[in-house]
Amino acid sequence: MEGSLNVIGYGISVIGAGIGVGIVFGLGMQAIARQPEARGPLQTNIYIGFALIEALALLGFVLAFALG
Amino acid sequence: MSADTLNLAAEGGGGLFTPGGPGFEAPSVGIFFPSPWSWGDYSEALPYTSGITKYAVLLVVATALVAFFLWWTTRKLAIVPSRKQSIFEIVVLFIRDQISRPMIGVKGDRYLPLLVSLFLFIFAMNIMGLIPFLQLPVTSNLSYPVGLAAVVYITFIAVGIRTHGFGRYFKSAVVPSGAPAWILPLLVPIEILSNFIIRPATHAIRLFATMFAGHLLLATFAAGGWYMFNPSAGPLYGTISVLFSGSALLAFIIFTAFELVIMFLQAFVFTLLAALYIGQAQEAH
Repeated sequence: MEGSLNVIGYGISVIGAGIGVGIVFGLGMQAIARQPEARGPLQTNIYIGFALIEALALLGFVLAFALG
Repeated sequence: MSADTLNLAAEGGGGLFTPGGPGFEAPSVGIFFPSPWSWGDYSEALPYTSGITKYAVLLVVATALVAFFLWWTTRKLAIVPSRKQSIFEIVVLFIRDQISRPMIGVKGDRYLPLLVSLFLFIFAMNIMGLIPFLQLPVTSNLSYPVGLAAVVYITFIAVGIRTHGFGRYFKSAVVPSGAPAWILPLLVPIEILSNFIIRPATHAIRLFATMFAGHLLLATFAAGGWYMFNPSAGPLYGTISVLFSGSALLAFIIFTAFELVIMFLQAFVFTLLAALYIGQAQEAH
């Protein structure tokens, strides 16, 4: 077998970020469903949370290339 | 798929089911390092730069695109907007109502020019990855997001210092209010690290890495589909290979549409975080 351990490391690092993004969007949808008139500010906050969590996955992606 | 990828794919085209044919070579990171344009004897890069590469050309194209859009839509301003002007007003109002007002408040309207230019410029640079024959997002080179993030970094520190004064701003940014004194030696280094070092770094890397990953994904689908396209391999194998490469083409088209959404989202998120940082610097107390 050939390949890079970095890819496996990236896969592991994405698990946490994937769970996090799922929680953010899931609870965001729930919040919008409970209070549809608050959609605007909720959406903005969902995207902030998404962006902050996504950075973790992307750091893993960049490091997988940078340390190769 | 950039021109380099096209060459790369052409080399391995039709390799599937060819006995002793070339193996599949996935597109490498090399597609993000186009060789600089050379002329005459001056074949090497300009001094202190990496030369005039495809990135530099596309940067000029993106800048011209944004400048033309702004000139074209605001040429004849009127109180009752024309159709062209209302396109521009939709963009500005979108930034104001979705980003500037929620993050900074009404005082944030003075940063609207910065935010609108950031959004349009990043979106134009991203969209370069989807225009046929150009097909290289400018933001997939780390230097361009770093430059933009540095502008935002300097802006929000300047806003904080101008609003609160040098000492008070850094004290409020670094020392969390309401924390007991004994935990401060632990909290202050973390706050310094997260507010002034990790924050601009992730701000730049977020944009860079999504564009890099998206472009690499599209290049892999294109190269893989071309590698599997081998209709001359006999009736059975030829049909199978055409089916394989057809599904790769389908995935390429679907992911191109997905990529368009990501490009818009990343431009939006970059602008949103810029507004958030400016708003936090302004509100710090």
